Amino acid sequence: MKPPERRVEVILSLAVVNPLVDVIRGLVTELREAPPLPHAAPESEPDFNAIWADELVTGRDRDVGVLLAIFDGDFSLEGRVCFDSENAEPFIRACSAVRLCLRDRRLAAVTDEVLESGDMDAAKLDVRTQKAFLCYLFLATLQELVIQRIEDGTIG
Amino acid sequence: MPDPKTHTLPAKAAATELKPEGPWRVVVLNDPVNLMSYVVMVFRKVFGFDEARARKHMLEVHELGRSVVWRGHREKAEAYAFTLQQWHLTSGLESDEAS
Repeated sequence: MKPPERRVEVILSLAVVNPLVDVIRGLVTELREAPPLPHAAPESEPDFNAIWADELVTGRDRDVGVLLAIFDGDFSLEGRVCFDSENAEPFIRACSAVRLCLRDRRLAAVTDEVLESGDMDAAKLDVRTQKAFLCYLFLATLQELVIQRIEDGTIG
Repeated sequence: MPDPKTHTLPAKAAATELKPEGPWRVVVLNDPVNLMSYVVMVFRKVFGFDEARARKHMLEVHELGRSVVWRGHREKAEAYAFTLQQWHLTSGLESDEAS
């Protein structure tokens, strides 16, 4: 008999989180257009570099699709999001992709030291940057939670 | 040991002629975005490191700005670098012969 799948459900405040999810939705086009990390190997052929980049972009798009799907359905009604063995890894990769894009496209006014520490009074930022910064912190929090649950075997 | 299924490097054209086949280093560079716990998890997953070894490399990245996480043949080094980039870690290849 197949054992029941282990999953984690998190209830989030719709009023708080919905605007942050809107930040992610608003970033999707820019994410699709953002170049991937440059090819890591020296002395490679252009064709190979292009395939390398395409594969990275395709994977990133797929992962971000998984992230957005987590915030559809039950989330929009009850604030409930679920993580399981299917979506946990794509989700945490997507969190990194979105956070990197937020840093590049929305958080130029925030220093890397502040981004690393998360220590800043968000009220001092303009509204657009403030939302982006809060979204950046929110994704880090969820990413950390899912990593912990993967490592302690709760998800799997 | 690493799971080869995690390496989905695009196939290289058959006519490709590679440069030096000697030892290559896979290097991971620091970034201000990825969480320490995330980097440790990725190292464990991609290279099969135990917790202590993964943490040692993560701290090297964090404190020294870079860490050599693997050495070996170019093809496999490229596959590792590609997988690390799929996980959004800034990684690169260096030839051991260049040092």
